[in-house]
Amino acid sequence: MTTKIIELGPHQLALEEPMYFRVQLEGDRVADLDVLPGQVHRGMEHLVMRRNLYQNITLLERLCSLCSNSHPSTFCAAVEDVAGIAIPERAEYLRAVADEIKRIASHLFCCAVQANAIGEVPLFRRIMEIREIMQRAKEAIYGNRMDLAANVIGGVRYDLTPEAASYLAQAMEQMKKPLDQLYLQFGNNPVLMARMAWVGVLPREAAVECAVVGPVARACGIDYDVRKKSPYGAYDRLDFKVALQTTGDVRARNLVRLAEARQSVSLIEQCLAQLPAGPLCADTLPEIPAGEAIAKSEAPRGELMYYLRTDGSDFPVRLKWRVPSYMNWDALKLMLKGEPVANIPLIVNSIDPCIACTDR
Amino acid sequence: MAIQEQETAAEPVRLFRINTGSCNGCDVELAVTSAVAEFDVEQLGCRYTESAREADVLLVTGPLTVKARDEVLRLYAETPRDRLTVAVGVCPVSGGVFRDSYAVDGPLDRHLPVDVNVTGCPPRPQALLEGIRTALEIRKARREGVEPIHEPGDRKPSHADNFPARGRLSFDAAACVDCRMCRHVCAAGAIRFEAGKQGVRLTLWHNSCVFCGLCSHYCPTGALSVTGDWRLDHRAADAFRQVDRGEVLYEPCAGCGEAIIPAAPQLLHAAFRRPNPEIEKLKNLCPACRQQMSIGVPRR
Ligand code: SF4
Ligand code: SF4
Repeated sequence: MTTKIIELGPHQLALEEPMYFRVQLEGDRVADLDVLPGQVHRGMEHLVMRRNLYQNITLLERLCSLCSNSHPSTFCAAVEDVAGIAIPERAEYLRAVADEIKRIASHLFCCAVQANAIGEVPLFRRIMEIREIMQRAKEAIYGNRMDLAANVIGGVRYDLTPEAASYLAQAMEQMKKPLDQLYLQFGNNPVLMARMAWVGVLPREAAVECAVVGPVARACGIDYDVRKKSPYGAYDRLDFKVALQTTGDVRARNLVRLAEARQSVSLIEQCLAQLPAGPLCADTLPEIPAGEAIAKSEAPRGELMYYLRTDGSDFPVRLKWRVPSYMNWDALKLMLKGEPVANIPLIVNSIDPCIACTDR
Repeated sequence: MAIQEQETAAEPVRLFRINTGSCNGCDVELAVTSAVAEFDVEQLGCRYTESAREADVLLVTGPLTVKARDEVLRLYAETPRDRLTVAVGVCPVSGGVFRDSYAVDGPLDRHLPVDVNVTGCPPRPQALLEGIRTALEIRKARREGVEPIHEPGDRKPSHADNFPARGRLSFDAAACVDCRMCRHVCAAGAIRFEAGKQGVRLTLWHNSCVFCGLCSHYCPTGALSVTGDWRLDHRAADAFRQVDRGEVLYEPCAGCGEAIIPAAPQLLHAAFRRPNPEIEKLKNLCPACRQQMSIGVPRR
């Protein structure tokens, strides 16, 4: 059998982001794989230390646009922990609303990109059209379709007026049927089954070994969701089940995502129903003492961790984070081993890789 | 529209994208302009290509990282000579929030000529279409050897227009008290203060601003506000005109005549719902005279 090494770039992989792979082939099958990182390295760890805590809210939202709300909300949670601030209850709910809105849009984008990767262009377009309901809702409520600017230290800086709340409730109603249909389609449609079932399998033991997170882990039957394991914000008052699958293949990952998107609709509805009255922010300019804290959240791609150290000034001394895609990278090698070259774009996209987060 | 008819009749204009290290916000929105009917670039007679050699219009996103630079320049060299380059989002135009990093080598026009800037972070799809339309106008004018004329786009009202989009920031010098909180919270370094003879001048660069609205959130007097104006695409030659300026004038202290920045009425109303005459008097005094008035030392 001939061994060959090829390099694949963003355009061949149908990626939105510049990521390059060096793939070792045996015949037409993948034997090994190297990720060539760094294209999106913007020096974030350096930049966050040259910005004060307020500026970092905006900077961190631009670490990655697909999970853009998870970054500032987790960062603010870390600052609030250091300062001993309990954010108002209304703010807890409003943070959850923002996070879940982003989750639906992010999961749908991932499914759409995969449909495109296997040449199912009409399905790609349909998912993107469904996602537009979320995009419109984001713009209507937050004024931007990607970066919500919802968080501040001590709470949130947007409110849901009765008008906006009923608009959002309507949007949620519109999402239900399409999401249910997509779930059935990704689960049972023969064409999608042929391309996605038993493709890119990650066995459960390997998943545990690689410590994968998010939908990639839950697709292997690993019951881990930060919202349940260590509830933060309003999540201990919201009712949902961790979405699980067992087969660990591309199909299972997408079913987890679609089930979660549907659940997010219900979470948003619960938030709207329970939304308590009260202030949006604890204190506009709280004093941030010296200290350190770790904050975690369940971003669309999985567990996101922030470590923050402060020295009493309003510049962070150290800010470090572990992003979900970083944990899922290594597993890619195992998923791709022995797969035909033609499956590479699909499998790579099935872990919903975020290079902006990982290269930072 | 004239452009549209001609282009659809002829070959489509081919768009080629390069991501130079973006947060992917702009790229996801560009994907929308190939997937969602309402925003499809087809309505401008365009389609996307995967080959740099075919590019009529080059769309560049991201702040141009050091690592991406060579790859970007290699791809650029492959594009035809008469292609137009559009900088998408504030990243390639100014670096946006990523400026001043060792890992960023922008702005883009340090390395290659740019024709159009589409300001926004990310720009909404409507703004992307307007930016591409501006590029098409320049392209047409160049081919005919005339000056480009700007035809206002026929934008369809969108569902979200009932709610305000976060667009251009606007500055009201009359309400400013020169506390500089806005500059303190601005991650993009978009706000600058300069002390002049007559007063203090604030300049806000729309090409650096990421429209986060944090300055307006923390401004105690409401001197900065977010407008719904999102149509900010412009020819690159006009980049330095994309600013909002205002001057907070000095006034003589009512006590000693020294030049001071008086407290704006907005500040007094924020602090005291109904400022009484005593407080109104304080606002036109310099710190030394205020002290005198409060402590009760004889007035000058
Ligand atoms: S302009 Fe804004 S949205 Fe676009 S890539 Fe830069 S940070 Fe992201
Ligand atoms: S909205 Fe204000 S704070 Fe945000 S980037 Fe623009 S000028 Fe800076």
